[in-house]
Amino acid sequence: MKKYKTKFKANSSGQLLIIAALAIAILISSTTIYVYELSKETNNACASSISSFVLALKQNTKNTMISSLANVSNGGERTVLATNLNRLSQIFRSINHLEICNLAFTPLNDSNYVEGIWLSWNISDMGVSSVYTNFTLKVYSIADKVTLNYAINITTAITLNGYYTKLDGNEKLVNLTCKVYNEEAPALAKNITLFYESFGRWVPLNSSNNFSIIDYGNSTYHISFNATTTSNTVQVSAHICDLRNVFVQANTTCYKA
Amino acid sequence: MKSNNKGQIRIIEAFLAVLIIFSSFAVSANFTITRNATRRDDLASVGSQALLKLDSDGSLGKFIDDGNWTALRDALNILLPVGVCFNLTVYDDQMQQINTAVISNGGFSSQQIHFTEYICASQGTVFRCYIIHMHLAVAT
Repeated sequence: MKKYKTKFKANSSGQLLIIAALAIAILISSTTIYVYELSKETNNACASSISSFVLALKQNTKNTMISSLANVSNGGERTVLATNLNRLSQIFRSINHLEICNLAFTPLNDSNYVEGIWLSWNISDMGVSSVYTNFTLKVYSIADKVTLNYAINITTAITLNGYYTKLDGNEKLVNLTCKVYNEEAPALAKNITLFYESFGRWVPLNSSNNFSIIDYGNSTYHISFNATTTSNTVQVSAHICDLRNVFVQANTTCYKA
Repeated sequence: MKSNNKGQIRIIEAFLAVLIIFSSFAVSANFTITRNATRRDDLASVGSQALLKLDSDGSLGKFIDDGNWTALRDALNILLPVGVCFNLTVYDDQMQQINTAVISNGGFSSQQIHFTEYICASQGTVFRCYIIHMHLAVAT
């Protein structure tokens, strides 16, 4: 029996060698394929030229919308948005040689937005400057065809509220809190100009009003100043430009604390 | 006869085993070659990603609007991997060069120079569009 076992072992040692070799080969191949697939995934994510192109185009439409909103909110025509987007689309069409792209856009028209622009500066305690446009992007390349629908909304909003305490005579100390938002996220203001209503006209604030602004760095600004008015309320108007140069205005009525 | 052939069979079996192992190496080598081929475009992609990152908060357009070429070069130096040389040329939408200074972090000593093109619309009140040509190489 022992002799038979030894003989069998000796006879099948060659087959065992082949099986072992196969196992090693499978191990080497699978390890290589695994490493290759892992690196391929990273490459695909980073190097796909069409995805880079789409990302760049989306970023540029966003930049164009910010530029247009800054222009319109500072007194420009509403048609600037369509003009700028058409120009951007034309530049992308003329420059890219590998891809053919078509960027179609529809500025939003509803109860708030007209030609994609919404400027709401007369609502009490709040001001909004916003732009909203729907896009359809079609990109054709040798390898791929991509159709993408997306919308971009750029909004700068401010809230303004406060109160006053009475000083001597008609003089009042006004305290205000102003908050700035970009797309509903806290944002910073580039400059703040304030006016208050005195005897029926808007008076700009200056150093004679003991005007001070405390910037808390988290989108909140505390403003205090002295105002001379006979009225029981103080009407205040804040004109703010955010870091993107988008202008927005808000009015509030301050009552005695 | 059977015992006479035993040695030859052993040799054939060993030969087969070696063949199997070497064939796996051959398959692996093939994969490595394919991967090297895809790597050629990586540097151009790295350049595009760096420009896209810089453009994401509007800094790229602002640097160009302000003609702040030093800040643009420094920002790209930070965003690009160490050992990557770049040379940037900025054109307006009429393809007129507008950068008045060289925007580069050193001379190109590599044989392989990669190219990427990026279009940047600035966020400024007046709409401007720039075309950026970026050449990249790995420093040797």
